[in-house]
Amino acid sequence: MRRLLLLALLASACSPGASNPETTSAASSTITTSAEVSTTSTTRPASALSDQVVPLGSALYDPDVARTNVPIPVSLTVEGVGITNAPIIEVGVEANGEMEIPGASEVGWYRFGPTPRDEGSAVLAAHIAFNGRDGVFRRLANVAIGSIVTVQYDDDSSTTHIVREIAQYDKKDLPLDRVFSKSGPQVLTLITCGGSFNRSLNSYTDNVVVYATPMER
Amino acid sequence: MRKVWTLLAAASMLMASVVPAMAQEGARIHLIHGIPDTNVDVVVGGDVVFENFAFGETQDLSALAGATLEGLEVRLTGTDTVAIDGGDVALPSSGNYTIIAHLTADGTPTLGVFANDTSATAAGEGRLTVRHTAAAPAVDVLANGVVAFANLANPNGASADLGVGTIIATVVPAGASEPVVIGPADLPIGDGVSLIVYAVGSLDGGSLTVLTEAISGLGTPPSAVNTGNSPVEGSGVPFALVAAGLAGAVALGARRIRTNEN
Repeated sequence: MRRLLLLALLASACSPGASNPETTSAASSTITTSAEVSTTSTTRPASALSDQVVPLGSALYDPDVARTNVPIPVSLTVEGVGITNAPIIEVGVEANGEMEIPGASEVGWYRFGPTPRDEGSAVLAAHIAFNGRDGVFRRLANVAIGSIVTVQYDDDSSTTHIVREIAQYDKKDLPLDRVFSKSGPQVLTLITCGGSFNRSLNSYTDNVVVYATPMER
Repeated sequence: MRKVWTLLAAASMLMASVVPAMAQEGARIHLIHGIPDTNVDVVVGGDVVFENFAFGETQDLSALAGATLEGLEVRLTGTDTVAIDGGDVALPSSGNYTIIAHLTADGTPTLGVFANDTSATAAGEGRLTVRHTAAAPAVDVLANGVVAFANLANPNGASADLGVGTIIATVVPAGASEPVVIGPADLPIGDGVSLIVYAVGSLDGGSLTVLTEAISGLGTPPSAVNTGNSPVEGSGVPFALVAAGLAGAVALGARRIRTNEN
């Protein structure tokens, strides 16, 4: 009756060519069952393995699991650089994988990432200039360390953040994993463009990134 | 911590001789109880590892990765009645697996082992996996009223990457549009989150339902942030001033302009 049932599974999982682990592993690894009844000892010693096993949360389906009731950011004010109650809209990704950016006068909140209330990095991005107009983040690079950033939400609440760091990266060096992090300390990350404008590409060479952390109460 | 392993060294070495070398980066192994109304004790080598394990509960076996559970039995709680004789179970030393105690299509308790796909999801997408682990014939899984996974039979699974949002899922007999045997159930598709849904229970017993687990952190960030398609000119703070201020920092590799000590 005894068998090492996972060997086939392991071998297939190790194979770099295993393209569909879902069906292959499931089909090949189910343990067969014995209906036999043990008649051995009735003592019930605790196993030395017990300490290694950790109970987790319930897997029972929660009908409310898909219900999200998180306040959504709706407007942004950044002290000292002419950004006052700038409207925020929810954005995602373009077909080419780049972050979607709204028009000149709106700020985009990356809706697949955290809100500014969550852990990780909440991303608000806006143009420095768009179709010949100044963008809402036209002067973002001028912000001073210590400036106050205020985000208003759709439930009329607000959060306040303090500018801690301003960085400029060549676009190819933008630290995507940091900027779009979903875990770790709360940070509000404001992104626009900077550097020099390449007229043949209609694009700037750099990204300017402002990191702000929640104001201590 | 490691003393336990010496007991299992022989079996582990046997495994090592068969299994190709893999990166020892640990494993994530969860055990889910997917048989309704059946509390059990999990016994290894005659010793109770944990008891009174109830339907819908999950245990994390990750710390036992690489070990062989010799003589694994799932017994009805407080008795010596063996519901599932698992034999010797070699747990993988790396990778992401779920073991679920469930019913076969004909209603016999069994242990199913599934390798979880932890490959990256595209920006704005999550993964939905559905696994048939219920005492029921083959089914079709409908997402928002459209067949997403057809003719899914116990113990198989199917998977798809989907855009972030909420899927309304229903389960019907394969090839039929009714009766709805499970659902409708709202399933959240989160960015970088793999949601795994198990159909469990018994059709004849009227206990069909679903269990879920989620694996997060599989997401991909956007590839770029392009926030300007025309040159800055005209009013406002002269851009040249900003550029000049940045020039020094730009010369450095880090390109950091200003920062505080924190």
